[in-house]
Amino acid sequence: MVALARKTLIYEWRRFLPAMLAVGFAGLLQLLQIALVLGIFGSTSLYITGSSADVWVGYPGTQSVGQGRSIDADVASRILMDPAVERVEQYLWVDGDWRGPRETGGLSVFVSGIDPSANGLMFSRVLPLALRRRLAEPDAIIVDRSDLQQLGVGLGQYATINGHSVHVVGISQGLRALGGINVLCSLDTARRIDNDPTDNGPTYLVAKLRDPAQAGQVAARLRGDTAFGPYTTWSAADFASLSVRYWLFDTGAGAGVLFLAGIVFLVGAVITSQTLIAAVNGSVREYATLNALGVGVAALRRVVLEQAFWVGALGLLGAGLLGIVLLLLARSQNVPVVLNLPAALACILLVLGLAAVSGLAAMRSLRRADPATLLR
Amino acid sequence: MQTASAIPSTAQPALRAEAVSKAFVSGQQRTQVLAGLSLSINAAELTLISGPSGCGKSTLLSVLSGLQKIDSGRVLALGSELGQLDLRALERFRLQHTGFVFQGFNLFPALSAFEQVELPLNHMGMTRDEARARARRSLEEVGLAHRMKLRPSELSGGEKQRVAIARALAKEPELLFADEPTSALDAANGQMIIDILHRIAHTHGTTVLCVSHDPRLVIHADRVLAMEDGRILSDRRNHAPIIDSKEISS
Repeated sequence: MVALARKTLIYEWRRFLPAMLAVGFAGLLQLLQIALVLGIFGSTSLYITGSSADVWVGYPGTQSVGQGRSIDADVASRILMDPAVERVEQYLWVDGDWRGPRETGGLSVFVSGIDPSANGLMFSRVLPLALRRRLAEPDAIIVDRSDLQQLGVGLGQYATINGHSVHVVGISQGLRALGGINVLCSLDTARRIDNDPTDNGPTYLVAKLRDPAQAGQVAARLRGDTAFGPYTTWSAADFASLSVRYWLFDTGAGAGVLFLAGIVFLVGAVITSQTLIAAVNGSVREYATLNALGVGVAALRRVVLEQAFWVGALGLLGAGLLGIVLLLLARSQNVPVVLNLPAALACILLVLGLAAVSGLAAMRSLRRADPATLLR
Repeated sequence: MQTASAIPSTAQPALRAEAVSKAFVSGQQRTQVLAGLSLSINAAELTLISGPSGCGKSTLLSVLSGLQKIDSGRVLALGSELGQLDLRALERFRLQHTGFVFQGFNLFPALSAFEQVELPLNHMGMTRDEARARARRSLEEVGLAHRMKLRPSELSGGEKQRVAIARALAKEPELLFADEPTSALDAANGQMIIDILHRIAHTHGTTVLCVSHDPRLVIHADRVLAMEDGRILSDRRNHAPIIDSKEISS
């Protein structure tokens, strides 16, 4: 079989270049957008992904980590009764009003009261052990380096949260939050900071399992018991994606992503289809001759679709290579970018869909390849 | 000189038109191009339809080759009535039985001469080896054995038209249609093309129907039909070369 589509693409590459660039840039734009959004909104699940807990226990209906309500501390004994559970720990989330030593106005901070012991689960992946130990000291707090400016505070200085005096004993990294500032302290300190009279227990209980792979089953097994008051359970992975999804879709950011994806798709498809249509028109007499010789319209359509596919594939390749370089560059500059398999697949699907739609549009101009027109 | 639309008394004609009418409508304007035209074309002959531009000769070619539908009448090609065939069946009929050579050579810029010829054969359901053997044979027949690997941009006009003929010929069609095949070529190349078409008719037994207003072609045709205003004015056989071609249209 003579590879008409590919040979034409190679021989007349200049003609197809705009389409490949359009597809490539559409893919690249989409890739970077998704990576950025995932990077930025991924920080909303930092509490979960930065910790080594496998199962989370919280108030039913909680939509994201920052929106928990207190549950009965006695639920812990119910959780511990399950043979799969190795350790249970309390986690207290307090919304705080920060007053720094310098004039900073009212700052909203998210106080995380955690177990400061060496084998504590919360933030175990982002908080070095030496820093963690310092939290055992009463009223000690740790903040992120990137938040120092906003908080107007330095190491060793004092500030107040909810009118309660606290002492910065450590500065960490990787604790940046979205919509507020994370402040870490011990459970005892957090309880003192908490001035909400309705809080009479931990916001969450987090559990470590003997076999982390069983998180889904164990979470399902522990759910639905109301003997200790209302609570529900999630596997860490489920709760993390719940939090990210909440931010994506309830803040409008997700709609923004989808909107931009639509625009990118539209612009890319217009450019690509116009290029492919021009390519078909440029060869319309040759196609008509083939049709006169009896080569069916269906076979000619396949040639156009194949060209569209190659344009998509080559554009994708370019976008992929450039995307990797740009993502690495972003990482090196501390820009939060994250790319996972579903997001990458979504990009690939979008680009190939764009090429397919453009190919279908170009196929329509094959109608002009009527061999009777060659005889006039 | 014989009378118009006379049917020669040889064997079963390869192509037959019976009272064929065709009109084109553009806006309010209706132009009758063919008006009740009847004729028969024989196999193994080079038949030339000549006439001034706008006389309907190209329309007649497109109607006889099944590229265009007619308003009334019948067209029989190799015993099939083309009007009865749907678009798919017409494509299949053309694939199996017809070859075309156009005024423009219509070669794909990206393909070599060999690939141009091989491409339609791929769609005829033959093996790769057979298609390649046929393509080679066909290019050799038009004298391009040494130019097979070249792309159209590296070929002269005459060579391009010979590739186009080889592309039609490789299908081994019973019917070969040529529309002004020499009008874009100089005298020497035009001569070569018409010689090739003539030879194809005689050695392959192909029905070659050629439409042209090129007076140089007249002496090479086995039969010359002169057309004007959608009618056949004269029908003449060249048993021996006749030089004066002007008598038929005067």
